[in-house]
Amino acid sequence: MQDLPITALPQETQEALKAIGKADILIGIPSYNNAETIGHVIRAVKLGHAKYYPGKRAVLINSDGGSTDGTREAAQTAFDEDIYDLSLVHRPQEPIEGVTTTYLGIPGKGSAFKAVFEAAHLLGAKACAVFDSDLRSITPEWVQLLLAPVLEKGYGYVCPFYRRYKYDGTITNSIAYPLTRALYGRRVRQPIGGDFGFSGELVSQYLEKDVWETDVARFGIDIWMTTTAMVEGFKICQSFMGAKIHDVKDPGADLGPMFEQVVGTIFLLMKTYESRWREVVGSRPTAIFGFKTEVSPSPLQVNLERMIIKFKQGFDQHKTYYEQALSPDCMSKLAEVREMATERAIDFPKVLWVRIIYNYAASYQKEGDRKHLLESLIPLYFGFVASYVRETESYDDYKAEETIEELCEIYEDTKPYLLQRWKEKGCEE
Amino acid sequence: MEEKKKILAVDDEEDIRFILKEELTDEGYDVYTLGDPTQALDKIEEIKPDLVLVDIKMPQMSGIELLGKIRDKYYDLPVILLTAYNSFKRDIASAASDHYVVKSGDLTELKNRIERIFKVKV
Repeated sequence: MQDLPITALPQETQEALKAIGKADILIGIPSYNNAETIGHVIRAVKLGHAKYYPGKRAVLINSDGGSTDGTREAAQTAFDEDIYDLSLVHRPQEPIEGVTTTYLGIPGKGSAFKAVFEAAHLLGAKACAVFDSDLRSITPEWVQLLLAPVLEKGYGYVCPFYRRYKYDGTITNSIAYPLTRALYGRRVRQPIGGDFGFSGELVSQYLEKDVWETDVARFGIDIWMTTTAMVEGFKICQSFMGAKIHDVKDPGADLGPMFEQVVGTIFLLMKTYESRWREVVGSRPTAIFGFKTEVSPSPLQVNLERMIIKFKQGFDQHKTYYEQALSPDCMSKLAEVREMATERAIDFPKVLWVRIIYNYAASYQKEGDRKHLLESLIPLYFGFVASYVRETESYDDYKAEETIEELCEIYEDTKPYLLQRWKEKGCEE
Repeated sequence: MEEKKKILAVDDEEDIRFILKEELTDEGYDVYTLGDPTQALDKIEEIKPDLVLVDIKMPQMSGIELLGKIRDKYYDLPVILLTAYNSFKRDIASAASDHYVVKSGDLTELKNRIERIFKVKV
């Protein structure tokens, strides 16, 4: 095994892992103040290991960001708990080892994952999975769904495929999924799903990248992992996990940092992998595994008026900036959308949204103040999401999904425009 | 000269197979047809098609099941699902297809989708 510098795992955790020696499977759970939910996630993982991989050596690591609500204690309690008899699951021949650590580095999910990757590397794990610590819908089967494609079918990366309520995952639906699909040509419906499976080989690739001082160390980690797996040629599939029930957020509230870090990472990767996306035309699907069930995710209430207000206020605040970042045709159409928007109604054309994203992707490469650039995109995102909410108000989740598919095809078909803007902005390699 | 693209159409209805063969051959494709989906994987192995058209509702095996088997064995082989109804999309496994086309006497949409697939470069 190649020696890589260990920077996210404290010395005592490294010692603890060395004492364990080797493991076939490594499960990581990042956390920050998730005392209420982490116990459930750990119990599900323990049972999943016992049910599906009882003979495999497994380590479960909770990579915590310095929680103050008792998350690590809750994790330790769940590690120690004997849950097998009451759950009617046979005790595994190889008990799962539980490790709790406080990762080192920039505070954020990506740093938490780096500690997980380092642990996997130290243990020589063949397959790994990570689960969000706020999951309420996780079942023991999720362990198998993310690990089996790696262990049994030779896949390098497994993404979750969830049923989500039509207004849950709006950054995914409006940017992360369609843009990644159009750029790299692979359809991965939940590229920032939070729960992934991956091979030990891919872990080595991740650890070789020098990205841990960027937004990848924060919320950019998910899209970075997915994109890296795609461009480095790993076989990718999706596993159907049922419904995702977690601590959902109204898209009109509190998504700022996440938006900036995810979108900033996508734009950053566009420069790194320019040669990998320029020639891509259209997209291809990926295999889907898992047991199909009819599930209905819980509805999420969204505040349409608030999103429209944020769009209008943001437009007025950043108007001068938009005039520099956007092409004149986009700017005049955007001004029309602003003009026509009422308290509860807005029509933000999909083509305009895609063109704006492509303008921003190109502008980002030359922008000195990238934070300001991304902040100025947020009001437009609210405007687009408000328009999507209006359009799909009467749709069920399946019909709303067709709207997303339509958006994806617009992203794909508008790609020549991206190449044009990329050139005009002097971004070409 | 560019080699003709090979299309395998799997549909239990003979009339549909006939129409697909006629019309897609006229479009310049090399078209093979099959009525029994249980033989599809062998046929794919034999003729190495560039695209497979799969009817969703077939008595021996559903098109969605066949899609899963194709996708598991051939990572990048394009598949279009043919259906009489939209309701199949409730089956999540259908997302592993490249596209779906609602069956109709007019094959324009299918032809457009095929053309789109053959333009894909990943």
